[in-house]
Amino acid sequence: MTAIVRASGLVKRFDRTLALGGLDLEVAQGEIFGLVGPNGAGKTTTLGILATLLVPDAGDAEIAGASIRRDPNAVRRALGFMPDSFGVYDDMKVWEYLDFFARCYGIPADRRRRMIGDLLDLVDLGPKRETYVQGLSRGMQQRLCLAHALVHDPAVLLLDEPASGLDPRARVELRELLRELRSLGKTILVSSHILPELEELCTSVAIIDRGRVLAHGRVADIERRLRVGAVFRMHVLGDEGAIESARTWLVTQPSVVSAELVADATIEIGFHGDDEGAARLLAAAVGADLRVATFSRAASDLEELFLQVTAEDATEPDATAAAGPVATEAGR
Amino acid sequence: MTGPAGSRRRLGALRDVGSGIAAVGAKELRGRMRGRRTFVVLTVHLLVVAGFAWMIETFAERTYTSGFGGSLSASADIGRQLFSALIMLLTLIVLVLAPASTAGAISLEREKQTLDLLTTTPISSLAIILGKLLSALSWLLLLLLASVPVTALVFTFGGVGPDDMIRAYVVLLGTAIAFGSIGLFVSALVKRTQAATVINLVTTIAVTVGATFLFAFWSVMTQNGLLPNTTATRDSSPLAAITRRPPEALLYLNPFVTQVDVICGTESGGGGTCSIIDAVTGANTLGQDVSNGIVSQPFAGRRDSYWPRAMAAMLIVSAVLVILAVQLVSPTRRWRLRRRRSGVAGGST
Repeated sequence: MTAIVRASGLVKRFDRTLALGGLDLEVAQGEIFGLVGPNGAGKTTTLGILATLLVPDAGDAEIAGASIRRDPNAVRRALGFMPDSFGVYDDMKVWEYLDFFARCYGIPADRRRRMIGDLLDLVDLGPKRETYVQGLSRGMQQRLCLAHALVHDPAVLLLDEPASGLDPRARVELRELLRELRSLGKTILVSSHILPELEELCTSVAIIDRGRVLAHGRVADIERRLRVGAVFRMHVLGDEGAIESARTWLVTQPSVVSAELVADATIEIGFHGDDEGAARLLAAAVGADLRVATFSRAASDLEELFLQVTAEDATEPDATAAAGPVATEAGR
Repeated sequence: MTGPAGSRRRLGALRDVGSGIAAVGAKELRGRMRGRRTFVVLTVHLLVVAGFAWMIETFAERTYTSGFGGSLSASADIGRQLFSALIMLLTLIVLVLAPASTAGAISLEREKQTLDLLTTTPISSLAIILGKLLSALSWLLLLLLASVPVTALVFTFGGVGPDDMIRAYVVLLGTAIAFGSIGLFVSALVKRTQAATVINLVTTIAVTVGATFLFAFWSVMTQNGLLPNTTATRDSSPLAAITRRPPEALLYLNPFVTQVDVICGTESGGGGTCSIIDAVTGANTLGQDVSNGIVSQPFAGRRDSYWPRAMAAMLIVSAVLVILAVQLVSPTRRWRLRRRRSGVAGGST
């Protein structure tokens, strides 16, 4: 697929603080792309530059073929932006809020009316059309802000920590909404430090720390690059003795690197091999009279990957150290 | 040939600015006019203006008619006095309300964290600033227009012509534009609305009362020969000029002085207060002007010519402040104040 967001060599300093030290990024069309990183990694700065709110000191970025330096207005028309901490005009009604932003994009009145109805339905705020924005809950305001980013039907959505401050239910709703938007053909670039959330949602991620991309691609690919094998979980029926003998049997298998009891009757297997090898191991276990109830690949753990990648980076000589201290707090 | 394409692009850009101003202006006006606040402010404004007019008229009528009986001349004098008082009151109202109505225009957007949402739309910073300024001016214009029936009462007394009234309202509008722009600039410069309001108040006092005191002090110094070179006669250097008398430009942003000029332009002037405008424009410095080879008549010829200069100055100040405010709001502004700090993490991440 073609890249719809492309950033190359982005450098940004705030006074003598280096926030981005030559960041490169490519996001393919139709992806939900996660920017993962700790606080101060450079996520907000990256999104701020892509949203044309900040001018990079060096490097350039393109969104839908338009350069943020040469044609920021075309970039603004191609993207919808939802900042980390956003406010709402609380003296407006819900429909007025969307109507105002639609006017900012020069959408004619007859199209605005229809579009506002569609958007409110999409974000499930149809019944709140005549409500004042200040009367909405935090989750509803978040959805309204997302709707505002969609008024001009942009190809790319930039969402900075969209789930922060939301309760679990609102998070699930937001996740569903983002999936729906992806099905509508939107490319979504979302930043978060809540990793399990991104793991469920994103098709690709970039792990960022200290203003640089440390790893980039699909979660499974990153995992494959970083690990020699995969992790499987086997749930075995029987008493303690049977489970312990199953664990001992597994350790003797050539494709098994490690086997540890992690919970009641569940053994976590460090496995070296492909899916064929996994199938052979399962068949051998059943053949060896192990009472296997479940055998499955452990879900890729983005949190673990993130810790591994950032730990590896921390041990390397710091490329940004020479350039200056690294930003640690948000705020322009 | 890039001519037609270039002009089409320019036309498109102009149209974008126009629709941006309309979008921001409509939003601002909607917020401003919503609720009971507008009704209450407008009612109080009219009650104050009407009550003040009644008091002045009663006072003037008693003064002019006691002992002399009624006369046409007295009626005209009452009309002029009423006109002067009302215009000064409206000037004070505009001077207070204009910077106050724009003090939160940008700083509130920052406080509410809505400015980023606005600046990531294709709407230009110029459209944002002009939309907000025009909405504040529309609100002030509404107050001024609402007061027209009360001020028009002066026509029943005579002594004031419609052209005098138009001039006075033009000065009021110019004052609203200038002080609205000052408020807008301060709002774009300062992050907090509370701070912006205080700075606006201080600035308004400084450019009106402060500048007038400075002018008076300067005049006294030059008249008493406390500044060097006051006896220089034909020296036309800037130093010699400033030691002869303070420049009238010092008072260009004081709308009360400008209104005195308008009021003095009425048929036979506004009495002793007109000496103010003569002092400002230098019409009463006959001796010194003669010494320069320029003969000017005191109390003649220079009245009613100061206000256009003051208006032009106000509009120029307004334009400069709008341009600066646009730069301050633009996320990709070209001019930045460089602050040198060491080792402090100040950037967003």
